[in-house]
Amino acid sequence: MSKPFEPRVERAFIGKYRPKIDGKEKASGKAVYADDLSIASRIPGLLYAKVMRSPHAHARIKSLDIGEALAYPGVVDILRYCDEDVASLAPTNAGWTDGVDTVSYRKMMWGSFRDRRVLGDHACWVGDEVGVAIAAETELAAEEAMRLVKVEWEVLPFVLDPLEAMRPGAPLVHPEISKDNVFPADPFGGEEVFVDKGRVEDGFAEAEVTIEAKSVYHNATQSSLDNWCCVVDWKEDQVSVWSNSYAVDQTRMHVSQMLGLPLHRVRAVSPYVGGQFGRGDTGDQPFFLFTALLSRRTGRPVKFKHTRRESFHDSRQPAIYFAKAGATRDGRITAMHFRSIGNAGAYADHTMFALKYAPKEITEVALAHIPNVRFESKGVYTNKLPACMMRGVGNSQFNIIFGHVVDMLAEKLRLDPIDLCIRNFGHEWESLPDRSLEKVLAEGSDRIGWKEKRHAPGSGELHEMTRRRGVGFSCHPAWHAEWQETRRGKVQVAITLNPDLSVLLSAPSVETGNGSNTCNVLGCAEALGFLGISPSDIRWASTVDTNAGLKDCVQTDSAVSYLQSEVMAMAALELKAKLRDLAAVELAVPPGEVEIAAGIAFPAGSPERGLAVKEILLRGDLAPITVHMSRAPLATKTGVPFIANFAEVEVDESTGRVEILKLVVVNDCGTVMYASGAEAQQIGGQCIAVGETLSEEIIYDQATGVPLNFNWLDYRIPTMADMPEIEPVLLEVWKGGGEYGACGIGEGTLTCTPRAILNAIYNAIGTRIDEIPVTPEKVLRALAERGATAAATAAGGGPGAGVAP
Amino acid sequence: MSEARTASTAEGLSVADAGLDRAIRMRVNGSWHEFGPASGIGGSMTLAWLLREKLGLTGLKVSCDEGACGACTVLRDGKAVLSCMILAVEADGHEFPTIEGLPADDPVVEAFAEQCESGHGTALQCGYCTPGFVLTARAFLNENPSPSLAEIKEALSGNICRCGCYQAIAQAVLKAAAKIALRGRKA
Repeated sequence: MSKPFEPRVERAFIGKYRPKIDGKEKASGKAVYADDLSIASRIPGLLYAKVMRSPHAHARIKSLDIGEALAYPGVVDILRYCDEDVASLAPTNAGWTDGVDTVSYRKMMWGSFRDRRVLGDHACWVGDEVGVAIAAETELAAEEAMRLVKVEWEVLPFVLDPLEAMRPGAPLVHPEISKDNVFPADPFGGEEVFVDKGRVEDGFAEAEVTIEAKSVYHNATQSSLDNWCCVVDWKEDQVSVWSNSYAVDQTRMHVSQMLGLPLHRVRAVSPYVGGQFGRGDTGDQPFFLFTALLSRRTGRPVKFKHTRRESFHDSRQPAIYFAKAGATRDGRITAMHFRSIGNAGAYADHTMFALKYAPKEITEVALAHIPNVRFESKGVYTNKLPACMMRGVGNSQFNIIFGHVVDMLAEKLRLDPIDLCIRNFGHEWESLPDRSLEKVLAEGSDRIGWKEKRHAPGSGELHEMTRRRGVGFSCHPAWHAEWQETRRGKVQVAITLNPDLSVLLSAPSVETGNGSNTCNVLGCAEALGFLGISPSDIRWASTVDTNAGLKDCVQTDSAVSYLQSEVMAMAALELKAKLRDLAAVELAVPPGEVEIAAGIAFPAGSPERGLAVKEILLRGDLAPITVHMSRAPLATKTGVPFIANFAEVEVDESTGRVEILKLVVVNDCGTVMYASGAEAQQIGGQCIAVGETLSEEIIYDQATGVPLNFNWLDYRIPTMADMPEIEPVLLEVWKGGGEYGACGIGEGTLTCTPRAILNAIYNAIGTRIDEIPVTPEKVLRALAERGATAAATAAGGGPGAGVAP
Repeated sequence: MSEARTASTAEGLSVADAGLDRAIRMRVNGSWHEFGPASGIGGSMTLAWLLREKLGLTGLKVSCDEGACGACTVLRDGKAVLSCMILAVEADGHEFPTIEGLPADDPVVEAFAEQCESGHGTALQCGYCTPGFVLTARAFLNENPSPSLAEIKEALSGNICRCGCYQAIAQAVLKAAAKIALRGRKA
């Protein structure tokens, strides 16, 4: 049974277990999402758009005939790739930013890979949105008319596998960018060898023990229930975009830049969003643009919505990882060399974020004390659905090899892998051992029963004749401390105090579910503690609208949970100063001598002469007092806290079925902003993690490139019946800068899970499966190989004889 | 996407959009509604579409539109059903409580909204699946007023919560059962 976390500093509101502020609204079905605000009766004159999807993995449109489609009843207009208004748009990328900052076309993060056309003629995967977009009076009419569009395709050869795509003569996906499908070096990701610290060869020469490992991460997909949806209304004075984008300021910038409109003529609005998990990168998606053009042409609002099948629109960046690591016999790692080959799919988007940008940071926050480290990576185009951000981007994929190296090296050194981690990993601003890492591993080990349950691989007792149990873990540095958020630029809030001491809080951040809205209200109540108010006195707006004039703080890794609260703490000081000025007049003392506590203003040292702040305000002009505050995240390098997940599994050797008995999720948060929300993130993240590890996988027909399971019956998301017991553990060991010194934990809650489960499976059955999802078939095959190896050993062939490493 | 919605003739002309040839009547949250041939409802329209688009009941969500996720759950004559898998014409003569029809102090809604104690997290995050879970739980508790954890897991395994709040949802259902029992005794 889990126990509540113990806060380092007891506060009035921050860090408590309490209901989510939107709980009632959501549970009663009253919360409004993009698809709800755009039902026909709410938007007079609404049209519906549908876009053509390529039936081929790789093809070019030779010609189009839209005559019959245009004549179909209900069709209002058809936009073609060759029409001037769309053909003149610049080539683009769907990931202008990694979500934190707002960027222009010129400053887009992956400007080296502008491989997308808005409604182009070149289809690069089955399902690619190309050719024509139809606006019609009903969704059904648009859908039906699309069937009547006659297309002459030039079908091109395609490639699905990144290793094949790199071979000479392979079909080229974007020849304008790469002549061998391998991404060229770029300013953000760097060269192919993007980290080369010390002298790796010397480090291996010094090593007394070395291991080599391989791990494969596949392409899972985000599966937000709230499928992409946008409504664009192009009026003379303003183009309005309502959508379920999680980054409204960036949506406004994207539309403004691509369509050449000044910012004040574009308005982007997001209400509640039904899950994000990284889908669509930062939302710089071409469909916003063709929907806008259809609205301009027809003079009517146009709605574009993905069906669930169409929402299989991007996936986590899959990659093959190789590693070599060496250590001295006493467990000091002397060299690490990581290599990866990533399958970008049809478009680059944020592939290099996952392959290079994220792992690079790990070298300074976890591998700082390893003297020799080399990372190299190739991103490769293929004709699969595009790879994209997904919760834990890059870190989740890297952890699958990182935790593999730890487990293998420790086994060969005959060390506990926990000790190996503590002896070697930490950030560069602290000497070893890292206190955060030590504590998360100790706590996780304790909760899973590591010492009692861990045994030599495959040597545990049998349960029910055919089942073996094992435990495993993996750990990782977090990556959303405040200093890592500086690229966001300023975080903005506005606090308006009404004369009755109620508060209108403007801390814009699209509520995708991760609870930062509750954190903001708690942070505001905490900051305004001197007024004696409570969270129920604060009004938070669920809709984010760029016309309000504040940049939204984009949800990444629940970093919003503390970023805006840090700014509110400063805004509260300014508000207090204004109130002191007002109170000074009433109390007849200089402002500097006014103190305010629990809603009472009084001359310093004379609380008996106090006046209620509310009374002071009600005597005045009753004008609300508003404080705007902008503050860039603190750049002071404070290091990061650590994350660890522990798993206990049971593997049925007769069926190959893996059952997870328990997961322990440990996050050092710096400061827990909202305990129930943080635990919800820790537990909730495991739905994606367990799915990715055991059941979720996009399957392609190798002969045609057609994806076969773009639905939730065949792409299997864990349900309540599939999930194990999960124990969330919140810690406050590390501390960052600022009032709270917290760190985002949402993404990291699932980063270590796949490797923890894989290591537990090895511990259970004594043979490794290094590719997820772990299907029964893979388990049975691994067991058969173990049997063959054992037989060969018995016959004198030696361990591993004839088995390729 | 259901086959029925996109069924076309060999000429590519839609047969799906044909209007109703007679009126259908249904009772939703206590009120009767009638839809005639001129209502714009076609033979391929689902109950989910009708409830959202014609009656403005947007508490139910259409996510998978093929019976895989449970987000569109409503009650039909007391049982939980998937409104994306029922054609509007099949609704004729039935009674459908939706999430909007539950009273403000509904014990299941309350239990989902309040869930927060240590060890389980909250019973909802993004909230998109929540009305579906609430109604599935509502129907289940009517049949089984004091369920075990295993029975809850089984009964609610047709609904997907991608935010992964399952552990807290199960706790909320246990608490809702207790609330119902308590109120029942009071009554």
